[in-house]
Amino acid sequence: MHINEYKILLVDDEKTLREMVCSFLQRAGFYKVITAADCRQAREWFHKEAPHLVLLDVMLPDGDGFSLFEELQKNSEVPVIFLSARDEDENRLRGLGLGADDYITKPFLPEELILRVKAVLKRVYRAKDMREEEIVALGACRVDMGSGVVYWHREENFDIKETDAEVTLTAKEYAILQKLAQERGRIVTIDALCDAVWREENYGYENTLIVHIRRLREKIEEDPSHPKYLLTVRGLGYRLI
Amino acid sequence: MSQKYNYKKAVRLFLYGVAILVMIILLVGALNIVFLLVAAFAYRNMDISYIYGGTVMEALTLTENGYELAEEMKQEFVKQDQWAMLLDESGQVVWSIRKPEELQDSYTQADIARMTRYYLKGYPVQLRVWEDRIMVVGLQKDAVWKYNLEFPISWMDFIKRIWWSYFLVNFAWIVVLAFFFTRRYTRKREKARIEWIAGVSHDIRTPLSVVMGYADTLEHGEELPAEARQQASMIRHQSLVMKELIADLNLTSQLEYSMQTLRREKIRPVEIIRTIAAEFLNDSLPEQLEIDIWIAQGAESMCVKADRQLFMRMFRNLINNSLKHGGQNDTVRIQISMWEETRKCRIRYADNGVGYSEEILHRLCSRKKGTPGNDIHGLQIVKKIILAHGGKIRFGNCEEGGSYCLMEIRRERMN
Repeated sequence: MHINEYKILLVDDEKTLREMVCSFLQRAGFYKVITAADCRQAREWFHKEAPHLVLLDVMLPDGDGFSLFEELQKNSEVPVIFLSARDEDENRLRGLGLGADDYITKPFLPEELILRVKAVLKRVYRAKDMREEEIVALGACRVDMGSGVVYWHREENFDIKETDAEVTLTAKEYAILQKLAQERGRIVTIDALCDAVWREENYGYENTLIVHIRRLREKIEEDPSHPKYLLTVRGLGYRLI
Repeated sequence: MSQKYNYKKAVRLFLYGVAILVMIILLVGALNIVFLLVAAFAYRNMDISYIYGGTVMEALTLTENGYELAEEMKQEFVKQDQWAMLLDESGQVVWSIRKPEELQDSYTQADIARMTRYYLKGYPVQLRVWEDRIMVVGLQKDAVWKYNLEFPISWMDFIKRIWWSYFLVNFAWIVVLAFFFTRRYTRKREKARIEWIAGVSHDIRTPLSVVMGYADTLEHGEELPAEARQQASMIRHQSLVMKELIADLNLTSQLEYSMQTLRREKIRPVEIIRTIAAEFLNDSLPEQLEIDIWIAQGAESMCVKADRQLFMRMFRNLINNSLKHGGQNDTVRIQISMWEETRKCRIRYADNGVGYSEEILHRLCSRKKGTPGNDIHGLQIVKKIILAHGGKIRFGNCEEGGSYCLMEIRRERMN
């Protein structure tokens, strides 16, 4: 399914905001947008239309978004992005560990909203539908993120099926590259990388990370001592360009 | 700064509370006195003038025909509805006036001893010894209520010794009560204020979303002339400024009025510094901003107990301030260093900007509340956040140009 075909349910009691967000989403290509003004309508549409993503306001006239979210999560695993107008909610969203996929604090810019919607949709549904996007191209090197195999080709015309050489990434290298590829072009801090690779209790792995990065470079860089794609940002982290 | 003010305010309110309670107690005391005075006055006005033994005896003369009472005294007995009898040394009634019939004419020593303290068959009586005789003056049944008090001297001595501590305990009670009442009162008032500000900022955000959203649409809309798009861009930009101001207002009110909003957890400042630095570097061009981070050996693992969101906010504010006051054409260079000093986590933030003016430095250091003005709003929040975490902060200008901010907060042990 193309990303634009996903159905989005927008729940907010403010009519003007609903109309505006609706128009943004439609302009961004999401043509299946359903809106609801309160919990009752939201429940109704949710069961009738089975949306792929819910944009949920925290404060609703007939209840709060948190409870509705918990209710919806009982029978489905639909991703939810909260729209919140209070700073206090931020703490609650983090503290409660509700498992919401993201939250946006009002006021927000359209671009921000669209980016988050796309990011969540990709993250949740990519495994099933977006395999084609999972090739990371780094000059003469291609990494298939589906299998974790690195393909090398020295010629201009690149085709995975006709490669000179191939190596496989280890699980840790794969996790590092995946994180960097998700944030391609942006700096990813050492902490965020450790977080992605070792999940919990990740402090103290900084030196190990350096080792893994060096091995990863040996696999994906033409000249690992002078990397062109996986760059070090001194004191901060790494960046994949 | 704000904490100092809160402290002063709390003390003032507390003293008010003590004063109010003392006043209430004095008022109750005064009311009691007034009540007693009224009662005494009423008592006097009730025209209760009993006949006493002494008066009777003065009016009683012994004649040949026995005892004779003066005429006006006899009338007085009728008027007061009283009676009297005179007992001789053997307990025989030798004289009486209006004596109730149920009373006998002779009394034993035991009878006399009993009536001295209590009643004579329900009649309240008063006894007066006259030479070898006893004058008994009585009233009708249920006319008078009698009660005898007696305490051991040792107990009275004990009371004498401890009476001052009784007052002390009472005073302590007043202080404690005043403390709780004023605290409840101030909490309530502060809470109402915080909630009000939070409510207003909440209500503003939804309409502001619409303003920002449509301004952004207009700005990127191809159909509008360049000038209109420029104006839309201004609206969007100013809306973002408003967004920041609202968030600042909300945060300031929360920091100023309650410490409870801090969600303290063990965090590694280095992680936050890197996250925020990456956030800014990712959103700016390389020639606009450079951030240099220096972490002392071993400081990498340093932890502090702090509110993660507020700490992030603090670094965002510092960097935003440097960007705002940095040169338009020059690269803004920021240096963040962190090290440990006597179990404290020290962070030095410096930039290559124009530095703080005397006036701004004065305002940042002053303890007076005043109106901070928008230009250093962000820095005031930085200061409030550090102070709310029990830390210290100092602002100043570097010798080689630019400004610095030195923060200090107690470090936590790593598990």
